[in-house]
Amino acid sequence: MRESRSGCGKATSSPAENYQLARRRTLQVVVSSLLTECGFESAEKATVESLTEMIQSYISEVGRCAKAYCEHTARITPTLSDAVVTLNEMGFNVDTLPGYAKRSQRMVITAPPVTNAPVIPKALIAGQKRTHPSHIPSHFPEFPDPHTYIKTPTFREPVSDYQVVREKAASQRRDVERALTRFMAKTGETQSLFKDDVTAFPLIAERPSSIPYLSALLPSELELQTLEETDSSEQDDQTDSENTPDDPGADKENSVLLAGGVVPSVKVSEENMIDNPYLRPVKKPKVRRKK
Amino acid sequence: MHEVKMNRKKDKGFESPRAVIPQCVNLLCHVYSHTTHQVVCINNINFQRKSVIGFVELTIFPTVVNLNRIKLNSKQCRIYRVRVNDLEAPFIYNDPTLEVCHHESKQRNLNYFSSAYTAAVSAVDPDAGHGELVIKVPSELWKQGDEMNVLKVYIEFSLDQPKGGLHFVVPDVEGSMAERGAHVFSFGYQNSTRFWFPCVDSYSELCTWKLEFTVDASMVAVSCGDLVETVYTHDMRKKTFHYVLPIPTAASNISLSVGPFEILVDPYMHEVTHFCLPQLLPLLKHSMSYLHEIFEFYEEILTCRYPYSCFKTVFVDEAYVQVSSYASMSIFSTNLLHSAMIIDQTPLTRQCLAQALAQQFFGCFISRMSWADEWVLKGISGYIYGLYLKKTFGVNQYRHWIKEELDKMVEYELKMGGVLLHPTFGGGKDKDNPTPHLHFSIKHPHTLSWKYYKMFQCKAHLVMRLIENRISMEFMLQVFNKLLSLASTASSQKYQSHMWSQMLVSTHSFLKSISNVSGKDIGPLIKQWVDQSAVVKFFGSFAFNRKRNVLELEIRQDYTSSGTQKYVGPIKVTVQELDGSFNHTLQIEENSLKHDIPCHSKSRRNKKKKIPLMNGEEVDMDLSAMDADSPLLWIRIDPDMSILRKVEFEQADFMWQYQLRYERDVVAQEESILALEKFPTPASRLALTDILEQDQCFYKVRQGACFCLAKIANSMMSTWTGPPAMKSLFTRMFCCKSCPNIVKTNTFISFQSYFLQKTMPVAMAQLRDIQNLCPKDVLNFILDLIKYNDNRKNKFSDNYYRAELIDALTNSLTPAISISNEVRTVDNLNGDVRLILEEITRSLNMEKLLPSYRNTITVSCLRAIRMLQKNGHIPSDPSLFKSYAEYGHFVDVRVAALEAVVDYTRVDRSSVELQWLLNMVQNDPAHYIRHKILSMLGKNPPFTKAAESPLCNEALVDQLWKLMNSGTSHDWRLRCDAVNLYYTLFGLTRPSCLPLPELGLVLNLKEKKAVLNPTIKPEQGLDTTEMTGNTMGVHIPVMGFTSSFNTVEEDEIDMESPHDSQAFIHHHLNILERPSTPGQHPVKHPARIILLSDNLVLFFSRTRCTSTVDQAVLSLPVTPLPSSFGKESTSSSKHSGDHHHHHHHHEHKKKKKKKHKHKHKHKHESKDKERDSHAFSNSPASGRSVRSPSMSD
Repeated sequence: MRESRSGCGKATSSPAENYQLARRRTLQVVVSSLLTECGFESAEKATVESLTEMIQSYISEVGRCAKAYCEHTARITPTLSDAVVTLNEMGFNVDTLPGYAKRSQRMVITAPPVTNAPVIPKALIAGQKRTHPSHIPSHFPEFPDPHTYIKTPTFREPVSDYQVVREKAASQRRDVERALTRFMAKTGETQSLFKDDVTAFPLIAERPSSIPYLSALLPSELELQTLEETDSSEQDDQTDSENTPDDPGADKENSVLLAGGVVPSVKVSEENMIDNPYLRPVKKPKVRRKK
Repeated sequence: MHEVKMNRKKDKGFESPRAVIPQCVNLLCHVYSHTTHQVVCINNINFQRKSVIGFVELTIFPTVVNLNRIKLNSKQCRIYRVRVNDLEAPFIYNDPTLEVCHHESKQRNLNYFSSAYTAAVSAVDPDAGHGELVIKVPSELWKQGDEMNVLKVYIEFSLDQPKGGLHFVVPDVEGSMAERGAHVFSFGYQNSTRFWFPCVDSYSELCTWKLEFTVDASMVAVSCGDLVETVYTHDMRKKTFHYVLPIPTAASNISLSVGPFEILVDPYMHEVTHFCLPQLLPLLKHSMSYLHEIFEFYEEILTCRYPYSCFKTVFVDEAYVQVSSYASMSIFSTNLLHSAMIIDQTPLTRQCLAQALAQQFFGCFISRMSWADEWVLKGISGYIYGLYLKKTFGVNQYRHWIKEELDKMVEYELKMGGVLLHPTFGGGKDKDNPTPHLHFSIKHPHTLSWKYYKMFQCKAHLVMRLIENRISMEFMLQVFNKLLSLASTASSQKYQSHMWSQMLVSTHSFLKSISNVSGKDIGPLIKQWVDQSAVVKFFGSFAFNRKRNVLELEIRQDYTSSGTQKYVGPIKVTVQELDGSFNHTLQIEENSLKHDIPCHSKSRRNKKKKIPLMNGEEVDMDLSAMDADSPLLWIRIDPDMSILRKVEFEQADFMWQYQLRYERDVVAQEESILALEKFPTPASRLALTDILEQDQCFYKVRQGACFCLAKIANSMMSTWTGPPAMKSLFTRMFCCKSCPNIVKTNTFISFQSYFLQKTMPVAMAQLRDIQNLCPKDVLNFILDLIKYNDNRKNKFSDNYYRAELIDALTNSLTPAISISNEVRTVDNLNGDVRLILEEITRSLNMEKLLPSYRNTITVSCLRAIRMLQKNGHIPSDPSLFKSYAEYGHFVDVRVAALEAVVDYTRVDRSSVELQWLLNMVQNDPAHYIRHKILSMLGKNPPFTKAAESPLCNEALVDQLWKLMNSGTSHDWRLRCDAVNLYYTLFGLTRPSCLPLPELGLVLNLKEKKAVLNPTIKPEQGLDTTEMTGNTMGVHIPVMGFTSSFNTVEEDEIDMESPHDSQAFIHHHLNILERPSTPGQHPVKHPARIILLSDNLVLFFSRTRCTSTVDQAVLSLPVTPLPSSFGKESTSSSKHSGDHHHHHHHHEHKKKKKKKHKHKHKHKHESKDKERDSHAFSNSPASGRSVRSPSMSD
């Protein structure tokens, strides 16, 4: 809903905007007449604009403050006294106001053209509003929409049709793959199957690798992830074995290999006993070599 | 006609296996010394420069008094010094195999090459006591006394950028050698150890070993025997690995691999250690988790412990072969490693491990006496590997494998001529060459075609199985156990006890053990299959005689065509009747074709009774299809494959259908599937569909049924009803219940279903509609399978499945409708093809981002693209494939790309691509790729000898000749591949594209005419002929040469026709050749004038001859020409002419005069021998031409 409002507001002027423009024009007239009253014959447009802005701010501030005072006293509609307090607060002497209003050279300004007040968009009603419990009088405001203070269940009706789900998954994956490969093809070197149109069916250029067997043999991360998900139990076993304590006697290099090299976790005690010549520490050279 | 000649003098090295002389004595006849111990020490391995420095020390025990020369094998090593017992010894280093035919020769026929190559290999054959390195024992040592002293021969050597024997893999990345994963390993085909250190490179020369390798501290050196200790060098930057191998072992079984290997001690067997390249440890753990079971299996059936005290497996990149076994270690290709997610590779890797381990027992521990005994080792190791297959993968898989191997071998033998397991040379009186049908010699492993050797191994294990059938498996295993226990007793003895020969198996000793253990005579079997080549070809048909209730079976044989032999003996026939299955053993005899087999059951249809099968099972059958009068359901000839044969049996279609449905033997099922291809009927369709649906049926049979069903459907196109074949079946088995167009998400829990799911789309894509296009339904179906493929919940990888779906797309392609050779553009791409191409490009692109295991998808995509090109959908262009074929891609991808380039070369007759391929053969770092290119070129040749091709030109002949002559001296296998290719392209004789023998001028004094050879172009030395013609002062008219002269295989000669110069030459002229190399000697040879008795004058200038004359001419000395020589030449060329004549004659009277032909052949051969003795005097193997890069002294 919000999207549609902002969307059409940009293209044509909405009722709300019309309303604001009309008020603003009136303010400009006010500023101009005041300037004339003060004896100016002409004014730059930018100056008028600044002054309009100032007067608008001032009036807005008065309104805001008055509303604040009124709400402070637990009312919902400002009264005269609210306005007076506000003006006083803002350093304006209210007593001068009647005199100013009755000054002789004041100019009469036509009322702003009648435009429809903007429709306040309805609040999104996401759930059933609660009714007042018995101890709350009925003139009290209604409870707000539950989503504002409880929760909003946002699920839609799930698509339960298997076929649609599969179709969607398939086309989504295909779209992603196509977009990705197209992107890669556009950003990198390509090879082409056609001589007349090198952009049709672009192939990402092959790149020789120094160690081609690694990428060809090792499972990709994606596949590893799948594997982890599908059998996490086996994975656990393996991590167990990797935590086996290192043989304190062996040197560092060998112990790493040892820990990584032995699979069954049951044989922890036996592991340290393995006598394999490749795990033995490398001997230091003899001081004297026999000839 | 063009037999490969053998030099009989060289044959003495081969002992006659049947000789009664004890083998050790036999060996000593030719070898004058024995090595008892050898030290190999490699001090330095430089990965940067790819060089190796080291020394060897051989302890040699002379077996004759006054041993003055020691011959060792050594190739490509640079030898710095040789000392014998601390005395400097002079030596000669001569390797005749470096260049087989010497460069001045212009010979280009393969017959000549083959004989020269065989001679060269024989000249350095260690089994005959020869070697490349001849060391003169210092006279101080042999003069001093009669007592035989042990000699210590110390040789310092180095290797610089070895081309063979050792392979360095040094990836071009940042970091130290260890970080880069650089490694080196030894490799070779058969005995190739001489490539990396001097030794007696024979499988029969056993000695004990001490091996030392000093390598970088970050590296591991893995070698044969026990690692005794590892010691740092003084600077602590290197360490030395000390290995000791106390079990006597042949040098050929010694290996080494050095690299920054990750080490995995086998969790079940601590004496077994596995090594792999960095980062692959997780894969190694998984792949090796199974090895202990193979160990247990072999040890159990052989009732013998694994003979070595340790075992090492090393996985290396760019391996020469997938599996190579050496004493106590095996080197594997790293590409065998896989993770737990991979289905298809798992059985393959396990099979490789099992092969390697079988060879540890037979091949490494037990070695062979001579090359002729190789079949025993290959046979036994292949046989026990088969037993392992049976136990692990089941009887169905085993029988399927046996059938597959048998079919493969039979096909090869029928195509190429026989495979001879046990060749005897020089033993037979009249047979010089046991395999005249082959274009190579089988005298040495190194002259053997790779394909032949593969078939040889195949036949060897099949024959072992035949022996098992004869004497029972129990006895068989007892024989193996006996061989092993004898060998292990011998291995622990000292050399002096003369027991070591027990570790060598020979045909004779093997057969003796068999007869001792089993008490059975297997002589006829051995004679038929081992001493004789070729297979048996049966044709069977039958008729049912209702009156006598007898099955009249006719079994005919074809034993005249190439690769076949006659079989006489028992044959088993199984007849399935209504009352049960009955085995009959028939005797195949000389003249009896018909066999009467009484039937047990009368035909009866109405009694509803279950029908008993062979395995005791009783089944209900719908008998409505069968012949009402006959009780026969189906008949099988030799169901147990106990003859090496091909059977073509005729029986009615319903019989094949019954056989498919109800015979429980997978071999029978596969045979019937093959037969049903010829019966495209609804009944066949039903039988195949039923098999496809049957869960209990072996999955490979079901896979076969898929393809057969596709073929049948295509034949039945017009009458086919219902959806395309297999579509509804696939939907039922693999698609969702609720939405039948969507395939289920992958689980692959049942492997049988997995394999079927992979195969069915591939087979379906072979379906064609009336327009011979793949039906739209099928294509969309396959595209949907690709689209809906979902592997997210699967614990197995789906890479093979996806690859097969791409293959299915490839299969669906049909030739584009071409409009007058227009250029293929994107716009005129057919809509279906566009969809296919889109899938292929997307898959290929995704592979770059998420590569699949072994890049299977890239491989399939490359094949698909080539298919699109070939069918004219996209422009034919090899550049994509060439980029994928470059070094730096995964090997499978390279092979697929190369296959496409090879195919392109043939289709487009592109000499650029052919050159590119040949260039790669010479320069590629990976040996396997080189081998693969040549064998693919051989399989899919750019042209053959039968057809004309613009590619076939003199330059190519020279190039290939050079390749096999000298370019491949570092790799036996590659050289034989080159020979094969040469044979495929040009045949045995002189290539037809070469210019004619340049007879400058032919004078015919009788007719008073002289002819200027019109085929000689002016630049080819016409000036000389003119000059000589002028000097003669005779003006003679010209006689023309016709182009028929070009074809060297022109056999029919019409002597009367005046224009046929060949006949003319053979009968009236003498032809002389002067070998010369105009390319190397810019000065033209003067023409030669010879006056002969029949008043003919000939001029020769740089003469080259046709093949028939080549051999005769070969023997001639270069200059000068003695007059007597002219006569000899006359006789031989006349003989050639005679031969032609006779041959021609036989064309008509072939059948009647077979005997006569044989006689003639022998006569011809003896002539050939005469010539050969001349030929060899000029050949490099005679040892006269000494090439010594390092002559000391």
